[in-house]
Amino acid sequence: MLRATVLERIVIAIVSTTLALVIGAGIVALSGYDAVEFVYSLVYGAVGELSNVAFTLRQSTMLILAGVAVAVAFRAGVLNIGVQGQFVVGGFAATLAILFLTPLLPENMFVGVVLMTVAGGAAVVAGGAYGALPGLMKAYAGANEVITTIMLNFIASGVVYFLLDAYLRPPGAAAPNTESFPDYVDLPGFAFGSPSFSVIGFGIALVTVAVVYVYMTQTGSGYDLVTSGYQEPAAKYSGVDPNRMIVRTMTLSGMIAGLAGALFAVMILGYYSDPNTFPTFGFDAIAVSLLAANNPLGVIPAGLLFGGLDAGGQYIGFTLDVPSELVDGVIGLIVLFVAAPELFRAAGRYTGLGGDTG
Amino acid sequence: MSAVRDATGGRSTVIGGFALLVAALLAFLIADIPGSDLVTIGAIERALQAATPIALAAIGGLYAEKSGVFNIGLEGFMIFGALFGAVTAWAVSGGDGIGQADLWLGVLAAVLVCGLLAALFAVLLIRYEADQIVAGLAVWFIGLGFGPFISTVVWGGVSSPSLPNIDNVVVPVLSEVPIAGRLFFDASPLVLFTILVAVGAWVVLFRTRFGYWVQAAGENPEALDTAGVDVNRVRYATLIFSGIMAGLGGAVLSIGIGSGFTGTGVTMVDGRGWIAIVAYLFGNYNPLGTYGASLLFGAMDMLQIQLQTIGISLPGSITGLFPYVAVLVVLVVVGYTRVPAAVGEPYTKED
Repeated sequence: MLRATVLERIVIAIVSTTLALVIGAGIVALSGYDAVEFVYSLVYGAVGELSNVAFTLRQSTMLILAGVAVAVAFRAGVLNIGVQGQFVVGGFAATLAILFLTPLLPENMFVGVVLMTVAGGAAVVAGGAYGALPGLMKAYAGANEVITTIMLNFIASGVVYFLLDAYLRPPGAAAPNTESFPDYVDLPGFAFGSPSFSVIGFGIALVTVAVVYVYMTQTGSGYDLVTSGYQEPAAKYSGVDPNRMIVRTMTLSGMIAGLAGALFAVMILGYYSDPNTFPTFGFDAIAVSLLAANNPLGVIPAGLLFGGLDAGGQYIGFTLDVPSELVDGVIGLIVLFVAAPELFRAAGRYTGLGGDTG
Repeated sequence: MSAVRDATGGRSTVIGGFALLVAALLAFLIADIPGSDLVTIGAIERALQAATPIALAAIGGLYAEKSGVFNIGLEGFMIFGALFGAVTAWAVSGGDGIGQADLWLGVLAAVLVCGLLAALFAVLLIRYEADQIVAGLAVWFIGLGFGPFISTVVWGGVSSPSLPNIDNVVVPVLSEVPIAGRLFFDASPLVLFTILVAVGAWVVLFRTRFGYWVQAAGENPEALDTAGVDVNRVRYATLIFSGIMAGLGGAVLSIGIGSGFTGTGVTMVDGRGWIAIVAYLFGNYNPLGTYGASLLFGAMDMLQIQLQTIGISLPGSITGLFPYVAVLVVLVVVGYTRVPAAVGEPYTKED
């Protein structure tokens, strides 16, 4: 969607991020805070201590998974802005699976693994179905997917909150949370010793990236998906039905988003809660994917970068009382710059640094 | 010009539909038929108020898209409008005893700031040929981040304290007229202004030279260029206009009709900018039809109160979703609307 070569994209990603951070620091200074302290704390919050690194990796895990979900769709020319909703629905399905099956099964580690597997499967199915819905609307009714998926995000949060509040909240509980999952339904922390981050979760994200990459580059089905997004006439000529491709893309994207939701419920929360209070991984993932030029492999470094920004942003929120929303604004600026490669080409021509790319 | 013929053909349908709607509403109000408890004067008043911010943003977005640029950033501009309206009113009053003049200054500031931001956005889209959808999404993200951020810097929290709003305009005598008196002669000036804007936007788009330029910029930019009109200047004008209108819509939400800025979650704008896009699609790019569609979505937004009055009690988390569901139904049923031919394509003059 954005015309640029690979080298250009990498340069654009780096320059966009730097420029957005510089503007962010400028706004911090204008608002009466210390800009140098801001940048230092941002970095310290991301990687300064082992527990900070664990938090960065935890956020990166979610952003890489959600980022791949976005990348699959954008690659195929379908603008799935609904990853957040598919994530919420997926996490809810995982929660239902765990809460309903737990009383029926014995309590041990092995059952824990089975439960987590079933929960992951339920999340993938639910997320995939919730992604397929706007896919069907686009393919067979011409409904613009940007708008339908945004509406479905609102609807997912509203309906899940309603069900949670009405049926899954333990009697007398003050907060709209479900009961906690049993101890044996959790991923082990290993070296990081963090209750909400597991290397296994990070591994699941990396494996998902690898699977998606292989699917999109090495299989005929994946190839059809990408070509129908970019060269619809060519794909049609070779007998590919573009409508089916749209539905398939949205389903696949929703499945990955659902898996991210399951990991969020099991690894990070250990229960389920009001989706309106969740972090907006599904939106930040759009920035991650765009920064990676919608390349599944590129999502890994982009996800790590944004995981660090997120962790750093929350750290400054606690320590400097610079509102952590600032980092959300900076992420928005990054997306804005990434959307305009021509801006950097013009800047390159102007400063004489652009070489022959201009 | 086929575009013009389409518009005129669409007009009679729109006017017919509108007349039917008004007739149905009157029948509900006057005759005692089943369901009349659902339609009360209060309900129409609330629907008109809820429709106002949506209609303002939608009419702006309609002009941008008619001229060939998709302003998907309406939601973000509305957030900035809501915020700067409230911040300015607060700042000029010194923090206590916000008066009507302060509120109007707030509205003005919201319009100016959003016009300026939209001008910057227009440079990125037109001059630097940024991807319109991605850049528009970015405006939303920037609003979601910096809106609550600025609120925290000013008020120490993501939302403002409770603020007053703009007084109704009461016309003596006329306000005593049944039905119309309460709806139009004892109403927020912003509600009335928006109705005028819808009519004015229709006249300008279909009856003036500038309106034809806007349509040509979206349908056949080469022809407009050949006729000696700068396509990109037309597009700058419509994009800045759309930012101004979205900013005004945001200010209406926070200090026009509402009671301050709320920055929790997806902020108080809460998807209205997105609904505005659907409103002009549903209105088939006709400002009057767009106003009607906004009224429909506004009524959906207010349905909860009406359902309660007739004894149906649904939780707010469910009734709050009605407008979004309505949007989905509209998009699926109306489906493909004929988008102006050159939307999304940057125009570069051939040498």
